[in-house]
Formats: sequence, structure tokens, C-alpha cells
Amino acid sequence: MNKVALAGQPNCGKSTIFNLLAGVNQHVANYPGVTVDKKSATLTYAAESIELVDLPGTYSFSTFSLEERVAKAFILDEQPDVIVNVVDASNLRRHLYLTFQLLELGRPLVLVLNMMDVAERRGLEIDCDKLSDLFNVRVVKAIGAKRQGKDDILRAVHDAAQTKIVEPFRVDYDRLEPYISQIEEQLSAPDHLTSRWLALKVLEGDDVIVERVGISRETVRDVSREIHSRHDVDVDQMIAGLRYSAADLAYHKCVKEQRQQGETLTAKIDRIVLNQWTAFPILGLVIYLVYQLAIVQGYKLTDYTWPLLAAVRNRFFSLLPQTEFVDVPLLTEFGIWMANSVLALLNYIPIFFILFVLIAILEDVGYMPRMAFILDRIFRKFGLHGQSTLPLVLGGAFVGGCAVPGIMATKGIADERARLATILTVPYMNCLAKVPFYTLLLGAFFKEQMALMMFFISTVTLFIALILARLLTSSVLRSRETAPFVMELPTYHLPTISGVWLRAFQRLWIYIKKVVTIVVAVAVVLFVLLQYPGVAKDKMAEFRSQADTALAEFRLVVEGTPYFSSLDQPEKIYRLLNLNDAYRADRMLAASADAVVLLDQKYLEMEPELFAIIAAADQDARRINRALRNLSNAGRRLQLDMKNEKITNSYLGTFGRVLEPVTRYAGFDWRINVAFLSSFAARESAVATLGSIYEKGATDATPAEVMAEDGAYTPVHAASMILFMILTPPCIATMVVVKLQSGSYKWMLFAIFFPVFTGVVLSALFFSAAVQLGWSGVDLMRNFYMGVAALALLLGFVKNKQSGWYVGKTH
Amino acid sequence: MELKQLRPTLSLSDLKKNETGQVVYSLAQGTLKHKLISMGFVPGIQIKMVRNAPLRDPIEIAIQNSLVTLRRTEAGLIVVEKL
Repeated sequence: MNKVALAGQPNCGKSTIFNLLAGVNQHVANYPGVTVDKKSATLTYAAESIELVDLPGTYSFSTFSLEERVAKAFILDEQPDVIVNVVDASNLRRHLYLTFQLLELGRPLVLVLNMMDVAERRGLEIDCDKLSDLFNVRVVKAIGAKRQGKDDILRAVHDAAQTKIVEPFRVDYDRLEPYISQIEEQLSAPDHLTSRWLALKVLEGDDVIVERVGISRETVRDVSREIHSRHDVDVDQMIAGLRYSAADLAYHKCVKEQRQQGETLTAKIDRIVLNQWTAFPILGLVIYLVYQLAIVQGYKLTDYTWPLLAAVRNRFFSLLPQTEFVDVPLLTEFGIWMANSVLALLNYIPIFFILFVLIAILEDVGYMPRMAFILDRIFRKFGLHGQSTLPLVLGGAFVGGCAVPGIMATKGIADERARLATILTVPYMNCLAKVPFYTLLLGAFFKEQMALMMFFISTVTLFIALILARLLTSSVLRSRETAPFVMELPTYHLPTISGVWLRAFQRLWIYIKKVVTIVVAVAVVLFVLLQYPGVAKDKMAEFRSQADTALAEFRLVVEGTPYFSSLDQPEKIYRLLNLNDAYRADRMLAASADAVVLLDQKYLEMEPELFAIIAAADQDARRINRALRNLSNAGRRLQLDMKNEKITNSYLGTFGRVLEPVTRYAGFDWRINVAFLSSFAARESAVATLGSIYEKGATDATPAEVMAEDGAYTPVHAASMILFMILTPPCIATMVVVKLQSGSYKWMLFAIFFPVFTGVVLSALFFSAAVQLGWSGVDLMRNFYMGVAALALLLGFVKNKQSGWYVGKTH
Repeated sequence: MELKQLRPTLSLSDLKKNETGQVVYSLAQGTLKHKLISMGFVPGIQIKMVRNAPLRDPIEIAIQNSLVTLRRTEAGLIVVEKL
């Protein structure tokens, strides 16, 4: 098997070449220990199997960026048989800089001239044979975006694998040559690398290599000091300069520029897109479109996908052991809980998919770095990066979003400090699933001021994120690696459909795999915490006697009717109850009158006798049907009471009560604590839990109305709850992604506990102040808003001491 | 050498829109130095100031057929000769 590494500078179209070669048969993982994607594929050519690995895009093999370290480690440790170097043919001179470094490695190399169509359009005539002679390598033309060149590349790789390099390529390093040979003599080189390449790396002060080849740091320091004193040159700049001039020479030998280049299309587009006056409106439009398509339209799409998921869920429920009136078997309860937890996440798949597609398009087009170019100045003030824009927007910088794709989009941020700060602030954005919670409380307590409150809620989050980012980057993240902002603004490209699809599917699949597994694990834990130790014996007996009474009443109605024979056993009554519930559930999903007819038909065939009652076929059946409805309601009420009793008694309930002495200052009693605790599984649960705790059974009133009438809470309580919810920790799915993208559990724990801490402290502070000073709920919210906004503006004006760079010394 | 001294040098961040220059040397160290080298900022290379960002910082430079953006603080470390 031949091991082949795909190398190239960023923006050379390497991923399209990889997709071209690998097709769908590719595997995405991480390089060990880091969050850099490792794409690989196994393919066959001429009866030989090839293992193809896509190295991260790098400009060189120094140690200064994660991608470079990863790429270098791969070449050192995995010893690829052939290196495929992809270069942008329309920008050959620049891309040859990496080619020279790869040639010096002394491994068989295939040079792929990608984007030949662009080069031709620009009037560049590239003499491949000359290039091939000059470097003594195989040169292949390709157009990755048009799927051209696959066979040629594979044939060249196959041939290259057979060759053995006797004398490796060398660049003349002029005055440095004596020093290179001096080091070469001292080092011990492994077989697969040339000693010259290693000596060059040593001279460049590459610590990783220095350690490997058994040369002392002192020797290296002495040599570079000598060069400095004798020739007065900076070794790195000199080596790079010589490589660039070698590239320049090769370029002039092999490329004819047919006509004077006019203004390129990219330059024309940039004159509008990056223009002083139009840049912001266009950026706003792009962000609005992404938001509108993914979040708003995606959310609408879930209206169509939800019934499908619900149908699967109902099918699954029907397989679980049947409920016997008020006795729900443990397995059934567990199954329902798990299915609902997983479904809550799967429900968002349309949103995520659209988002991933749009992100892939923006990446391929080349707009991402331009976004950073436009906004960097603002974000830098708060320790963030121009590239933080998209993650924050996806997280819900407007009315609502989702932190999961937001955090996933932080991947491209080169600056480690800004990237971590972005990861930790995105969860503060407005999560879509928080909206029902807000509407519940606003509906109950702030009917008149709803719009104003919603405005406060949705805009305060951005200020909070900016403050937090500034605080983090000037404290815990202070010592984090920062990267220079320096980056290429790539040529605009039309994205390819297959490339975009493939990337979106890969990301979606990773999300499903990672997130759902963890959510399942946490859901199990939460289930146990909510289920045990269970209801006390005497309480249980009380519930049971109530259930028996209800059953007895029902039996009284049935006695003497022709239907008695089919309802003379308790099991038969349970059966009728379950059939009734199942029918009602299916009926809800039936979209048309025809579907209802079909449904009735199905049930009639299944249970002809019992269905007569459900369909209220005659006088007696109608009477029984009425009694059945009462029984069903009584059962539901009892189940609810039992559930409440169970939650009250549960470990989580106990924990909620333990917290009460602290949360009291924020106006939260134990019931609210439980709701917040369970919201960790998924934000939706907060509403569900509050709903079930407050539901008074038979009334038709919404939970909002019940809460308002309950009297235990005032609008100030509600405002305090909203304040806490704004700051509250992210859901598990987000936690998992924080862990994935930050690569550490430490940050995940920080992302959980810091918001809880600030949430409790701030809501306690504002609640107490409100009680003391007689603020209304709206006052509380407004004061909080103004405080936060003022702090954010203040921090924006205070000069950030760390500009990232200081002016160096001249010698 | 004498002739070279006569040409005034200035930092890259002081170039105005559409002005061209030649890199003389860079004062950057560590990561920034290597990043700049890998983007092509080595002595002798010609560059052109393309534009400022809408908020004046960062700036966009054309170098060797490609467009590179860098912050003013970073560009301040590159010494160029105006052409």
C-alpha cells in the first residue's frame, strides 16, 4: 500500500482535488490531540491500493501554527511514499514557495497544477514539460472544480511511487552553504529525510527538528550568531528570500504571460464588496440572508419534518409495554423520556443542514476572510477577531439562533485566544429554544410590555458577549497564543455543488454522532435523578384509591349496556383507554378528511367492539364515551399528580430545595430551580417542567395563565427569571461542541459554571435591589440593560493594552 | 549602497492608497515574522497598497499576484521604500 500525502498552500483548491480523488469514500477524523481535521481515503489504482491523506493547508513547515506543526509531524512520522503538491496555476509563483520546501524533503513528488482554467483565462501559458525537467518531478494539469485530471494524477502518483530519488533537489543558499554542510555533518538523519533539509530546519531554529536530530541548542545558537556577526543577515529572511527568488526564476522560465493583465474579476468585485460605503450594507445583507434562510426558513421546515419524527416516535411508543390506567411501566416511562430528549435535538437538523450548506458556500466563495477584514477593528477592541462575526450571528445575535453551529463555525479563526473567547461567548447568544420560555413568562407577566421586553432580551445578549470576551481575553485567556491577523484574501470562486453538499453532510454527521451520543448519556442520568427515590408508600396508596374510585364510577356506567361484556375486566378497560389515546394521537397527525376515514377504517378492523365506543356509534356507546373521557381525564390528572410528587421527592427536587436558601435572593423557589436544572438537557425542558409543575390538571388554562393566577410570583420574579435565563448555561449539545472545539473539559466546565455563577449573582443582585427600591419587573430589566450596555461601551473605549504585537528592536 | 540610502524609507502602514513600494526589511519577530515571510514579505519584493478597510484598519496589500490583509500595527513593522 502506498501512503500519499496531499500538500498545498491555503486557497490552492486542495480540498476539491481531494474530493475529486477520494469521492464519497472519505473519512474525517482529528489529528491526534488537536482539533485539526484529518481527511483520509483509501483508493485503488492499477491494482495497488493508495492511502491518501489530506494535510492541512500550510505556507511552510515552521513551528508557528498548529496546521504547520500537524503537517510537519505527519511528514516526519508517517513517511509518505509520495507527496502530491497542489498549486494554484493562476498564482504559480507564490505557490512554488512551498513546492521548493517539499522538493528539498527528497521524497517523490507530483506537482498538480490546479485551476488551469483560471490560469488560461488570465492568459498564462505554462510549459509543463519545462517545469517537469526543471524540478525532475511529474507535473499534472487539473481543474478540480470541473472534476478534470483524476486519472492523470493517479497515474503520476503510481509512477512516482516506483521511482527512487538518488540525489535530492537543492536550492543554492549562497553564503549559508558552509553552515549548512557544517550542521549536516553533525546531525544524525533518519533514512527517509535528506540531511540537507534537516540542516536547513535546524538553521531556521526549528525546535522540533533540533530535538530529533541530536544537535544541542548551543551549537545552533552559536552558528546563527556567527552568521549574524559575519554577514549581518537574518537567517530566516535570507532563506525565504532565496526560495522566493528561485521560485521567481522558475516562473519566468516556464510561464509566458500572454497579455498584460487587466483588472481581475476579483479586483472588480472587491471594489464594491470592500468599498468604504457599500461594505457594511453588503455584509449586513449577507448576514441577514444567512439568518433568514437557515434560522427562519429552517425553523419553518421543521414544521414539515416534525410530523415524520413524531410518527417514528409514536411507532416506537407503541412497542413499549402498555400503560395500565395510572400505572406507567418504568420501561415505558424511560422510553418516552429518551425518545423525547433525542427528538428535541433531531428536530433542529433542517436548520443545521441549511446552515452548514451556507457556511460551506461562504467559505468556498472566499467571503469569510473579507468579513473579518471589514469588522476586525470593532471586534479586536473586545479581544475577538473579525472572523467572530459569523459564529455570533449563527448563535443568535439577532432574535434567535443555535450555539451548536455557531461554535462549530469558530473553526476557521486563526487566533487561538480570539477563537476560545468566541467559543465561550457564543452560548450567550439568543438560543431559539429559550424563546418559548420567554414567551411563557412574558405572556404571563408582561402582556402589555412584551415588545419592549423582547427588545431588551434580544439585544442585551450581544453586549454581554462583548463584555465577557473582553474580560476573558484580558484575564484567563491572556497568555493564550494569538496569531497575526495577516491573511490572504483569496480569489473569488464559484463553489461546487458536490463539494458544498459533501462538507455539509460531513459536518451534520459529526454533529449527530457526537451530540446525540452525549445527550443520550446525560438524559439517562437526568432520568434517574428525576425518577428516584420515587413516591412515598402512603402517598401512593392514596393515589391508588383515587384511581380505584374513578374506575368504579366508570364501571357503573358500563353495567347494563351491551358493551359490558367487552369491558368486564380491568385489563379490557386499560385497553380501551390506551386505544383511545392512540387514536387521538393519530388523529392529530391525520392531515385530510380522507386520512381520517382511512384511520377510522384501520382502528375498526383492529378493535371492532372497542372502536364503536370511541366512535360513539350509538346511544350507549355515546354514554360510555363520555364516561371514558372523564376517566381518561381523571387518569391524566392522577398521573400528573404522581409525577409532580415524584419530582418533588426526586434527587433533583431535593437538590432544588437545597439550593433554595441561595436562589431565594434571586426570587427562585425550588420549583423554578428544578425547571432550570432540567433545562440543561435541552432548553425546551424548562418550559415543559414548569408546565408540568404548574399544570392544575383539568383546567384548559395555559401554563402562562396558571402561573399568573398562582399568585406566588410577581413580575419582578419573572424578570429575575428571565435575567437568569439570559445568562444561563448552554444545553448539553452546546457543551459537547464546546468540548470538541476547545479540546478541553476544563473549558466545558467553565462554560457551565461561570454563567450559572454570574446568573445567580446578577439575578440575586437585581432582584434584591428591585425589592428594596420598589422597581417593577420592567424597571429591573431596563436597569439591567442599561448597566450592561454602559459597561460594554466603556470597555470598548478603554484601550486594550495588548495590541498583540510590539515593535521589535533593530540591531 | 549610497544611492539606496537616498531613497526615503517608511513603514508599510504609511503608504497611501494605490502607492507601490519595495520591502526593505521587517522588524517583526516570532510568529508574525514567519507569517509575513510565508506571505511573501521578504526583502526586495514589490508591494502595492490596495485599500484601507472601511474602518481604516486593517489594510489590504497586493503582493506577488495575491491580496493580503494585515493590521496597521503589523504593517508598521515592515519597512518599505516608496517607488
